[in-house]
Amino acid sequence: MKNSARDVMTTSFHTLSPENTIAEAVKLFRKATEEEKQKVFGMMVTDKNNKLVGMLSMYDILLFIRPKHIHIWGMMEDIDIEGLVEHACDRAKSIFVGDIMTTDVITVSPDTHLMMILDIMIKKHIRRIPVVEGEDILGIIYISNLFYHLVEKLM
Amino acid sequence: MATLTKKTILSHLSVKEAMRRQVIWIPKEENIAKTINLFIKYKVNALLTTSRDNKPVGVVSKTDVMGAYYAGLPLESPVEGIMSSPPLFCKPDESLEVALDRMKSRGIYRLYVREREDGEAVGILAYPDIVGLLYRYCHGCEYSHFSRKKPAETKRQIQYRVKDVMTTNVKSFRDNETLMQIMEGLSVYRFGAVLIKDQNSYPAGVVSKTDLILAYKHGISADIPAKLIMSSPVKSCDEEDLLEEAIRKMIFSEVHRLFVHRDTHQKIVGVFSLSDAARLKSGSCRACVSSRIKVDDHS
Repeated sequence: MKNSARDVMTTSFHTLSPENTIAEAVKLFRKATEEEKQKVFGMMVTDKNNKLVGMLSMYDILLFIRPKHIHIWGMMEDIDIEGLVEHACDRAKSIFVGDIMTTDVITVSPDTHLMMILDIMIKKHIRRIPVVEGEDILGIIYISNLFYHLVEKLM
Repeated sequence: MATLTKKTILSHLSVKEAMRRQVIWIPKEENIAKTINLFIKYKVNALLTTSRDNKPVGVVSKTDVMGAYYAGLPLESPVEGIMSSPPLFCKPDESLEVALDRMKSRGIYRLYVREREDGEAVGILAYPDIVGLLYRYCHGCEYSHFSRKKPAETKRQIQYRVKDVMTTNVKSFRDNETLMQIMEGLSVYRFGAVLIKDQNSYPAGVVSKTDLILAYKHGISADIPAKLIMSSPVKSCDEEDLLEEAIRKMIFSEVHRLFVHRDTHQKIVGVFSLSDAARLKSGSCRACVSSRIKVDDHS
């Protein structure tokens, strides 16, 4: 059985730039989902030299859209959701991917054992891990890649 | 001897009822770019800085980062060089009023919360959190503007209006003044944001500390004019608006302050911030203040 990162990683991946606006990022999420033929919930962020500088997930964008004082609004009946979303989108105009991306990115090398990757995903609650060699990005492992690879024998 | 002590709503509440439980921290060796990233990502105005052994050692605020922008520090500089230390703490069971008085007397905007001297920070208390609590309190009251229990006329008479509590000293800058000039103004007057006026002296926008630190992060020169980064239009309310409505508007639009206009949007006569609302220490009308004046015997 093949059992290292390079055996399960996806090599046709899309990336974001730290200078992309949040609106552009949302469009690129949609494009990546179509082209990779699987739902993309998070993408790598790379600089001009293709160096990995962060990750942006849908969760990060939702975190930004969430009203800051939701604990106050949570108990009110006269809440105007539509207005709140408009406000959030208005604020997002001056925000770039680089401003809200996660910069502490955990990466693995192409030779990392799959069980090690499984352990990292569970312990750190992450669903995708970039595979890098030196400064080069070789691919990305989605939790679904790992799942179907590991449970193949069950079927 | 009996003294008359004015009790406020806050006297009956403890810190833990108002504090936020999500404390965002950063190792002191991390750089300023990462600090700005966390400010924006978690919508906070300050981070707790920690040492290698995870002990809280300081606080880095948007004001500190603005100072770094002003001084021309590279974004890669460690946050240790600009943080203030040590962080100030209060306890979860302390009275909210005592905590608020300490913030006021020390001239600070937030206190971290922990149980014991060497314990972990379990929360953070800042002015907007106190306002949020007061707002919820008022919203449920029968005298509330939003309640149908009391006749509107009765409520109108006792409710505070923005003009009763606003600050009338509004500092403004021209839209062609540079970010450097604005930062000087912000640090001298200790404001969180300034009003920007166009060439005809009409209000055109607002530059806040958040706008400035974003410009810093985006590599924008501090010598550019304010109009290139200001938020527009100016978020304002009428001086006759009820305090409750103004607070609601601030919480809703996630701004820390509203400028106050008279008659027309073009005429700005004051500014009103969440910190001002918190310092008022009561809800948005006179009903609860008068009912809570109580004689304490200190003999």
